Amino acid sequence: METLPLQADALNIGFKLLPAIIVFLMMASFLVIGYVFKVADTEGMWVAGRGIGNIENGMAIGANWMSAASYLGLAGLVALAGFYGLAFIVGWTTGYFILLIFLAAQMRRFGKYTAPDFVGDRFNSPTARALAAFTTLLIAYVYSVGQARGMGLVGQYVFGLDIIPMIIVMMTITVGYLALSGMLGATKNMAVQYVILIVAFLAGVYVVGFTQGYSTVLPQIEYGALFSELGAEFSEPFANSSPWLWAGTAFSLIVGTCGLPHVLVRFYTVENERTARWSTVWGLFFILLLYWAAPAMAAFGVNLFEVTQGVSAFAAEGGMSGAEGDVIVVLAAQFANLPEWFVGLVAAGAMAAAIATTAGLFITASSAVAHDIYSELINDDATQRQQVLIGRATIITIGALVTVTAFNPPALIGQLVALAFSLAGIVLFPMFFLGLWWENTNRQGALAGMIFGLVLWITATVNSTVLSEPFSPLLAEWVPAIGAALVGTPAVFIVTIAVSLMTPEPDMRTKRMVRQCHSPEPMGQQQSAEDVVTGSDAPADD
Amino acid sequence: MSDTDTASEDSSHELETDGGVAAEEADVNYLETEINLLSPSTPFMRDHLKVVWGTFAAWVLIVWGPFIATWLAPETMTQTIPGGFPLHYFLIAIGAPTGALLLAGIYARQRDKLDEKYGIDPSSVESGSGSGTSEEVTATDGGIEE
Repeated sequence: METLPLQADALNIGFKLLPAIIVFLMMASFLVIGYVFKVADTEGMWVAGRGIGNIENGMAIGANWMSAASYLGLAGLVALAGFYGLAFIVGWTTGYFILLIFLAAQMRRFGKYTAPDFVGDRFNSPTARALAAFTTLLIAYVYSVGQARGMGLVGQYVFGLDIIPMIIVMMTITVGYLALSGMLGATKNMAVQYVILIVAFLAGVYVVGFTQGYSTVLPQIEYGALFSELGAEFSEPFANSSPWLWAGTAFSLIVGTCGLPHVLVRFYTVENERTARWSTVWGLFFILLLYWAAPAMAAFGVNLFEVTQGVSAFAAEGGMSGAEGDVIVVLAAQFANLPEWFVGLVAAGAMAAAIATTAGLFITASSAVAHDIYSELINDDATQRQQVLIGRATIITIGALVTVTAFNPPALIGQLVALAFSLAGIVLFPMFFLGLWWENTNRQGALAGMIFGLVLWITATVNSTVLSEPFSPLLAEWVPAIGAALVGTPAVFIVTIAVSLMTPEPDMRTKRMVRQCHSPEPMGQQQSAEDVVTGSDAPADD
Repeated sequence: MSDTDTASEDSSHELETDGGVAAEEADVNYLETEINLLSPSTPFMRDHLKVVWGTFAAWVLIVWGPFIATWLAPETMTQTIPGGFPLHYFLIAIGAPTGALLLAGIYARQRDKLDEKYGIDPSSVESGSGSGTSEEVTATDGGIEE
């Protein structure tokens, strides 16, 4: 395994009082909000009572979405990888459109709790449910490692601890408030976290741009003037990646967007399907507020790096390191000689971003274990109290695992997160898409497709990310882990469809459930497609 | 669970809400018609899929067009445009995400119009009136044209 330089040398590491107070107040407010909205039942823990509205859910989509990978990693990739970094911008935004037209409202009509719930109930298979739950856990784990690393790197600027104790402190706080508050607290917090992170990020871009004379009112466009100074590496097409890798990365991130369980669950929390649609549009808008500005921050950061360090950011020796790229957003503010408290604010925004996403991921992981594995597969008579307890135990366990892995991560923040996307895009997206749009997709097809997808992703990841020397260079070239969905997703579609065609069609009850998801007729707020089909008024988790 | 909605007690309410069904409009039973992305079987699905595929085609063009053009004709695409950007950079970093947002808004608008066309008001049942069993649905579905 390749080791990355652990800390960003150019970052001014050391304890700083004002930034520490800002971060402390922010964390305390998360805990207070989490406590005020704490929940004791599963409906509140996982789907926030299904009563969240348009803009609030849009903000939650934004906060849930924008992790350390968006706040820090994206600008880092654009700064370090040039044109290849744009594949991440395209992949992490435009996928929401696909999610909107094909999945959001239909998922809301299906009306369950979790992604494994959908897979298990749609394909009538405890095994499919278990596979989806396992995939959900794996996604949450890989994705969170990037967040823990981001929190640790940025925390160093504020608190000056070594990276390892820093990661431990930050993760402990995140796990603590989550175990207390559950999804309702998390959803309320996400709206707050969105506001903090977007204000901090945009303030950073505007102030750096203005004080350094790069921009005035619209840095999102004005950074265009810098291209002539930035060096060809910043924009030259395919200098850092082949077109195949570029397309594979963008494609993986797009289908991954549509397959991520913690994104999907946001549609289960809204009032009705119209809210599901409009909150997707709002969510994308809120996300773009950051994504329009991130390349500007990257351009400012690269230029400032060259001015202050006296060496090209892209130089082989003395250029920008991976860890420096990962904190370029904070570094840019530091290079611009802005007051300490202001740089601290930018750093605090990164922490809010990392915590909000980790919260969403851990909630889905805990529901995958407590709901999908424990109460659906192991103990049918699980009480709500038992489920909530198991859920909390899961959050603590996965938190510990993520913390330990983040000590020595195998890739940049943005790349780690992209791995989780390619997994979601390969294994879960085809199940959601086919499950909702082709009623003859059956249990055998789903099982074959998911197993095939999991094996493919694990092979590609071990081959091109975990091992320092791939066992198959050919595989690493054509199915790189980060872009594995370009081959993997169509392959899983083919396997699932072929096996479904060769085996008996699903029963009429299942087909009716699918049809209910596409019917234009309104349904009750607490009603699932299954309730409608069976004509029962039973709770949605029966 | 706080779920107290029942499907059956709402069936009378459902009957009232479809008062606008014109005589010539066929009743469609949405639970008895096949879901197949490639061959939509109800007027609503056909109308919906027109919007879906129309906006999807525009999405492919906006999101993947600049990338493919840059791959095939790097010289032309890397020309500097007013504002200082190389053309490919502007179209991909700013054009593609913004285009996706506009298309998302267009889709959501069109989908709301479909709701109007088929006489659906999702907010009217916020507190949760169910559609009842499949038999009841036959009798109570909303106004469908054709």
